[in-house]
Amino acid sequence: MNRVRPAIWIARVILGLAAAMAIVPVLWTFLNAFKNRVDIVTPAPVFIFTPTLDNFIYVLGRESVLQGLINSVIVSGASVLIGALFGLPTAYAVARHPSRLTGEIQFFVLSLRFLPPVAVAIPLMVIWLDAGLYDTQLSLITTYSLLTISTTVWLGIPAFQRVPKEVEEAATVDGYGPYAVFFKVALPIASRSLIGALAFSFVLVWNEFLIALMLTTSDAKTLPIVASELTQLGRDVPWGILNASVILLSLPPLLFIGVLSGFLNSIVKKTNG
Amino acid sequence: MAKISCSNLKKSYGSVEIVRDFNLEVDDHEFVVFLGPSGCGKSTILRMIAGLEDISGGTVAIGGAVVNDLLPRDRNVAMVFQNYALYPHMSVFDNIAFGLRRMKVSTAEIDRRVQDVSAILGLGPYLLRHPTQLSGGQQQRVAIARAMIKTPQVFLFDEPLSNLDAKLRNHMRVEIARLHKRLETTTIYVTHDQLEAMTLGDRIVLLNGGVIEQVGTPAEIYERPRTLFVAGFIGTPNMNLISVTISDGGDRWRATSGALSFAFVRERFDLKDGQKAVLGVRPSNFVEAAPSATDNVVEGTVDLVEYMGDAALLDVAPRSGSSDARQIAVLVEAHRSPRPGAAIRLTFDEGDVHLFDERTGLSLLKPRSN
Repeated sequence: MNRVRPAIWIARVILGLAAAMAIVPVLWTFLNAFKNRVDIVTPAPVFIFTPTLDNFIYVLGRESVLQGLINSVIVSGASVLIGALFGLPTAYAVARHPSRLTGEIQFFVLSLRFLPPVAVAIPLMVIWLDAGLYDTQLSLITTYSLLTISTTVWLGIPAFQRVPKEVEEAATVDGYGPYAVFFKVALPIASRSLIGALAFSFVLVWNEFLIALMLTTSDAKTLPIVASELTQLGRDVPWGILNASVILLSLPPLLFIGVLSGFLNSIVKKTNG
Repeated sequence: MAKISCSNLKKSYGSVEIVRDFNLEVDDHEFVVFLGPSGCGKSTILRMIAGLEDISGGTVAIGGAVVNDLLPRDRNVAMVFQNYALYPHMSVFDNIAFGLRRMKVSTAEIDRRVQDVSAILGLGPYLLRHPTQLSGGQQQRVAIARAMIKTPQVFLFDEPLSNLDAKLRNHMRVEIARLHKRLETTTIYVTHDQLEAMTLGDRIVLLNGGVIEQVGTPAEIYERPRTLFVAGFIGTPNMNLISVTISDGGDRWRATSGALSFAFVRERFDLKDGQKAVLGVRPSNFVEAAPSATDNVVEGTVDLVEYMGDAALLDVAPRSGSSDARQIAVLVEAHRSPRPGAAIRLTFDEGDVHLFDERTGLSLLKPRSN
């Protein structure tokens, strides 16, 4: 017994340190977002201060931020939707009709992600400039759809493969055609994993920086680009504003994942409780 | 209700033939069991009848109409799968009603029919639950209800009980038998369990390697196995099979294997002098020989006694000069079981003996003359 106790305490300390490493920066950012500049730059960290919403008001008050937010929501939402629309049926077809090429298809889809983004971004920039669509939401959505489709296909294939074949056959014997089997049986059964795939591709696109930087200059700028520009406001780094924009930027994906996991829980409850 | 006829049915994947020239007529109301070891093609044939598997050659007809190119929905069949294959995202009620919904049956009618079917199968209290909340036996009952509700012409069962534990399997077997008695729907039932086949089937189709070994009533198959494979496959414990050489013993045929010697009346078998054959006797057909008996006597020592409750299985080492003599299994009533090491004298009724040609594996019994 006496030898176990120190081991438990050491484990707890390590666990506590690891948790602190994860939580403290987030907490610190959150606190700093509500501080005046004076409270942030003091040599001794301040925990008790008069909170202010100025930072948020400043960030949200800037037209570029609002425009960036709208762009980000439209671009991410649309490309995830397109990714689902094309990716899910593709993944289903590959999962259900394995052939000689199944392995190659999966590898090819993944290989789109092997190239460094810069190598992709420069040709794309030329293409969109020539097409006269540079710096538009359309060009960003189209480009991001390549990412979301490949991600959805890649993650969707195993999800559909886990749907028992017999269940689909039962639906066939019950009289349903291939489309009804896909929508009424395969899709709902695989939904849990598929929602994860969609959430992943959303976050991927939401956080994307380099391609957005190269494909936009003003009109179609997404939130990460706008946020990065806030650092260039002057010689004095506006820490409060930066922190506030970090918090604001993190909220939509959190909300999105929150909604998704709520949706997930409701499905789990339906099947287990 | 409908007849099913398969003629020259074939299935091959590339150059691999799974089913070769399968011919079978299933009568209206009949309960036919496909029995065989795994990989014998029994499930493949069932799936071809259901329309889940392409037919490589030959025809399947249900109710007189060839259905080769029809979708499963147009064949009027219902199927129960080995792993139940329930829709995990639907309640029991929706699982049962799913097929009717496609047929645009009115809600009231669906309600009524689901209530009817679930009453028959005792599913009433579970209609709002999800499949994961049910036991294996209940899940299989839902699967049967889902098949029943469409009032199909044909029921197809693909090893429906093999995922259940032994006790539940017996119970469900009885329920399926009772259900068939009540509905009289033409049924094909696939299993590898001979007990299920013997108890449920009006007729058994015994398959091996994609070919029919024998078709017959359970009694025919048990009493007059057509081939060595059938003899070895049917019956628990397994039939004793002894390689023998046939000789003409004047008024009787003689069969010898080492020191063992047997003799039979000439009328029963179609034999030739010097023929190599396999002699089969079921463990339960052995009886203790009277001291005066001389023919068809096996003398030996009891090696092992397996106590099974009301019966005991003896492993007897025959006393013989040759070393290749195989152990003989003998089934006796448990309370009459000798102790291991005891000497034993066994015999059997001539009428219980089976003989098979060693080369072709075919039974050498003369056809029954009525």
